[in-house]
Amino acid sequence: MKMKNWRADAQALLFLLPFLIVYGLFTIWPMFKGVEMTFYKWTLIRKMEFLGWDNYSKVLQDREVWEALGHSLIFVVLTTPTMLVLSISLALIANRKSVLQKFYRSIFFIPSVLSVAVASYLGLFVFQPYTGLVNSVLHLIHLLPGDTEIFWLTETRLAWIVITLITLWWTVGFNFILHLSAIQEIPDEIYEAARLDGAGDRQMFWRITLPYLAPITKTITMLQIIASFKVFMQIYIVTGGGPLDSTRPIIQLIYQTGFKSNDLGYAATMSYLLFVILLVLSALQYWMNNRKGADM
Amino acid sequence: MKWFYRLVSLFMAVLFAGPLVWMLFVSVKEEGMKIITVVDWFTPPYSLTVYQEILSGTKLTNWIGNSLLVAVFVTVLTVAAAALAGFALSKIPFRYRTLMFFVVLAGLLIPGEATIIPLYQVAKDMNLLNSYQGLIIPALASPVAVIVLKSFFDGIPNDLLESVQIDGGGSWRIFMRIMLPLCRPALASMAILTFIGSWNNFLWPFLSITDDNLFTLPMGIPTLISQYSEDYVKPMVVNAIASIPIIVLFVIFERQIVKGISMSGIKG
Repeated sequence: MKMKNWRADAQALLFLLPFLIVYGLFTIWPMFKGVEMTFYKWTLIRKMEFLGWDNYSKVLQDREVWEALGHSLIFVVLTTPTMLVLSISLALIANRKSVLQKFYRSIFFIPSVLSVAVASYLGLFVFQPYTGLVNSVLHLIHLLPGDTEIFWLTETRLAWIVITLITLWWTVGFNFILHLSAIQEIPDEIYEAARLDGAGDRQMFWRITLPYLAPITKTITMLQIIASFKVFMQIYIVTGGGPLDSTRPIIQLIYQTGFKSNDLGYAATMSYLLFVILLVLSALQYWMNNRKGADM
Repeated sequence: MKWFYRLVSLFMAVLFAGPLVWMLFVSVKEEGMKIITVVDWFTPPYSLTVYQEILSGTKLTNWIGNSLLVAVFVTVLTVAAAALAGFALSKIPFRYRTLMFFVVLAGLLIPGEATIIPLYQVAKDMNLLNSYQGLIIPALASPVAVIVLKSFFDGIPNDLLESVQIDGGGSWRIFMRIMLPLCRPALASMAILTFIGSWNNFLWPFLSITDDNLFTLPMGIPTLISQYSEDYVKPMVVNAIASIPIIVLFVIFERQIVKGISMSGIKG
């Protein structure tokens, strides 16, 4: 488009204005506002007193903070590899020609559209002792003796397993679609040529499918790590952070510090710690995306 | 080997559908039923009385309405703002265009969760807490949508635009007559993703709303379910009622949803 400079500038501004206003007010401005808050004893009513760097030195020595960050990290470690394996497996299943192909595609994705509250409560009830679906089925197939129950949520390790399973079930759909569409873009000729050379199914998977999926898998890995660091709601509903805060993630601690202990300034300081971690991860992801020559 | 693949596939499908099927069966049980084994869930008697009770005796439908209202406004306004901004970045040769692009791109790096505390303070200062505006407006700035749509606009040849310009059409006309119609699939996919995102949004409503008339579904459900002890039927009815509208939407728009996801994955 050819335009005079000032006219182009004015028009561009008009087109950009609605986005920029909201973006400025609710993304950029809070970022700076938050920095101010970290220097104060800031309560829900108003700022109280100037603390200088106190919040910062406190946050670095706060055991609860590092434990909560540790729990978020545990969640990242539990969900990321399992998510990738599950996502690729489901994509392979839904890619095979069969009468049920469409059904598979829908059923693997449907949990993703549920509200997080529904997914979490459903999981919570499914893993309930005595009357939950899982224990009942285990009784039915005699994997669990009739008079014993598994208390899924009273032991930290089992609680993590439950949270991970719920999360996988609820969120794998998006990644599964990404993997599936990547699989469908692999040219058939490559498989045909490999078959002529006598390659078996397994070889074709390791030598063709997986390498072709590498770029999207890298993207999914990074997105998954970032998303998992921000976990809150599933854990909040399913375990409430328990038993004994042993599954409490950092966002829950930020929320409790800000709104239960009425210390927004300190909560904001904590959140900047999370910010730094996420910023590094996002930058890493962006850098990886660009390095492989994606045009954006 | 073939039967093995089939078996594994079916098993996975059962795992994914299982909880939902269970939810539906439990939700039509009578309240207070004695459940001894898993078989009891899947055998009659069934009744819909709890559905009636929940629909008429709680604010659940109210909250579904709120969620729908917020999601519709957020979707329409987000996509509109992103389309306008994306168009400027893609087709208007203004000064500082590169700079502006990086300003938007930087937004991808800012995690909303990490600025939620100051956002609360900002919204409070602007009197946006406990209001529909407060649920909608802060959610509208989506750098991802801007960048995805910009890259779609980039794909439209400039020759096409120049022909309109020769006829005397301005930027607005180009935007409305050429860009929007040609990018309808991209806009639709973006809209659906935004809708699902808004529908599932939890943290911001959780912090900013305390009036239970303004609750959205993700907040209403825990409040409601935590009141029911012991029995499963009521919670499952709540879950079922909350899920049915969005699952119906999914069935209708499955194709666009799938397209939208592959698109955002490639570009994002």
